[in-house]
Amino acid sequence: MAEFSYYSGIPTFYMMIGIAMVAILIFLLGMYLNMQKWGGGSASHFLKTFIKSINHEKLGHHKRQSLLSTIILDILLQRRILRRSPFRWVMHMMIFVGWIGMFILSMVFAVFEMLHAINIGHFDLVVIRNSLDFSNEVLGYMLLIGLIIAIARRLVIPDVVKRTQIFDWVLVLGTLFITVTGFMAEGFRPDAITGAWTFLGDNVALAETFALFHVAISLLFCIAYIPYSKYMHMLAAPMVILVNGGGE
Amino acid sequence: MADEEKPRPVIPKGEPFIKTDVISPTFMMQYDACTRCGECDKWCPVLDAKDGDRKYSPMDKISRFRSFMGQSYGLKAKLFGPKKLDEDDIQDFTDAFFHCSTCGVCASVCPAGINTVDMYEATRQQLVMRGNGPYGKTVMFPKLIGEYRNPYMKDQKQRLDWIPDDVEIAEEADVAYFAGCTAGFNQQVLGVATARVLNHLNVPFIYLGEEETCCSSALIRTGQPHKGDIPYINAKHNVEALEARGVKKVMFACAGCYRVATIDWPKLLGRKPNFEVVHVADLLADLIQQGKIEWKKSFDNKIITYHDPCHLGRHCGVYETPRIVLDNLPGLKFVEMDRIKELQRCCGAGGGVKAGIADVALDIASERIRDAQAVNADILSSCCPFCRRNIGDGRDNVYDQIGATDYDLRDNPENKMQVEDMIVLVAELMGLSTKIKSQEEADKAAGVEPEAPKHLIDL
Repeated sequence: MAEFSYYSGIPTFYMMIGIAMVAILIFLLGMYLNMQKWGGGSASHFLKTFIKSINHEKLGHHKRQSLLSTIILDILLQRRILRRSPFRWVMHMMIFVGWIGMFILSMVFAVFEMLHAINIGHFDLVVIRNSLDFSNEVLGYMLLIGLIIAIARRLVIPDVVKRTQIFDWVLVLGTLFITVTGFMAEGFRPDAITGAWTFLGDNVALAETFALFHVAISLLFCIAYIPYSKYMHMLAAPMVILVNGGGE
Repeated sequence: MADEEKPRPVIPKGEPFIKTDVISPTFMMQYDACTRCGECDKWCPVLDAKDGDRKYSPMDKISRFRSFMGQSYGLKAKLFGPKKLDEDDIQDFTDAFFHCSTCGVCASVCPAGINTVDMYEATRQQLVMRGNGPYGKTVMFPKLIGEYRNPYMKDQKQRLDWIPDDVEIAEEADVAYFAGCTAGFNQQVLGVATARVLNHLNVPFIYLGEEETCCSSALIRTGQPHKGDIPYINAKHNVEALEARGVKKVMFACAGCYRVATIDWPKLLGRKPNFEVVHVADLLADLIQQGKIEWKKSFDNKIITYHDPCHLGRHCGVYETPRIVLDNLPGLKFVEMDRIKELQRCCGAGGGVKAGIADVALDIASERIRDAQAVNADILSSCCPFCRRNIGDGRDNVYDQIGATDYDLRDNPENKMQVEDMIVLVAELMGLSTKIKSQEEADKAAGVEPEAPKHLIDL
């Protein structure tokens, strides 16, 4: 396990897998309950209606754009936010790209670690991790800047201050906490190139414990918690855009 | 809406306090898609009229309903049973929920593209079925429309009363004119103007007359479509009657009826009618572009602006044809107000607000008048009898306030901004009379000679 702890910073790789499984199960349970709620007691009724609605014809002079346009322009590029407020678009894209980007990179690296753990493929995890380092740094800073803007908005702009609820703060402060612990875990980890332990000197045990803490709360907050919180908009909003056909 | 007026619903133990059986799964999902960005709040005319009172915030209404749903259907509710909700809280929420003209500007600006109009209407229905709505006088709509087949308590036979002797209605034609209840009974100038314009343009049309029934928009918009199933019955009746006459197009001059025919009839019947639904603005714009309209009169260099009716614009996507028409009217300079098309400011009459919460409707209409004043408009035109009526009331309200200090305006009412439907302006500029039948008969009895409107000049 020592080798894995070097790469991912987790003392026990299988512990991470275990926490991930728990997080995914809690997530799936929440999604099932949400779909059941949406479907009037039946998740399958919701799914059938949802799929059927994606291609339903729009009435009146409104024309439905192609599904590809909706996915690219409305879901990925979020032009509806851009049209209303370029400032808010920059903030939201920072958070969106940072969050999704790091999620994808984490998944990619987790897959390599799993393959390595079960001896499939011959690759150097150091090389892979190093190749992802720069992207992770950029995405992490994007997320951090986006969150700082989001918090500043909710503290400074009078209209936004007035309408902010605990529901909003939980999401933004929770994500900030994860982001900050992510930077700290990265700082505590041995440098990928020199192998030297950084902020904590050679206190490997503390670094590994902190890394485990960061990964555990990330999985629980950023995956398990999604269906039970404002995070749900990450999934529901694109689904609504698909159903309603997007467009400006 | 006081508590003592309504019996409280009896909820069996273990049952959720609010059911969701008439809210479609995709609408339910939309409640969880709200990002609480607050964009809707910036544009909501009701929130504006209520001086920003958070109770009327579209965003907070969504949050409150989502919270009710969470307490009734969330994880905790699954484990320990649905939470008992405070009935006063539900009633308070319902009252706020009916403070909405369902104009849909919140949907236009929503980054998540939430279809608030349909979602709100379905939720209103659920609240009405629970016994919490509707609001104010709108509770009378099912009785009126169900019993009289129109909301004005008129006999169906009177549907023909507005038709002047000179108007020709064909026995058979490709086009039908669906006048609707308001043009037929309440603002007959709209029916008269439309019929005379169609005759003048040699567009033969049929009219269902006594057979025509209310489009039932008022019931659908206020969450009461289930009461007697009236919207479905009326939709089936109207569509089958029109199809039986073999028409290819059905013409509307009322934005409310047009919205129902375009969007609600196919939904209610589960199929599209076998005819095309067109607004009279579409026909006029087409003929103007072909150079087939000859104007006989002109305004004397006035400024005109256009108010998009929500039901015609945002709901159905008709923005350009009324502008083409108004832009081509002689002697008028067409200017745009600040909030137009998909971002238009509602007149405040829709969604049962005019009937249920008249003061809010008046405040919103007054704001629209101020929008028109800001561009120095002499005429504010629209394509909807409800906008015409409510903005007219708003105009009087604004001028009443100005009139307190501006004696010239008070003493010269002709200086007031004119609020008029596009079809009436078109008829007048074609040199057609827009006098309704009863006026003409009264003039005839008094020996008064018909004369052209004084505000127009001959071409």
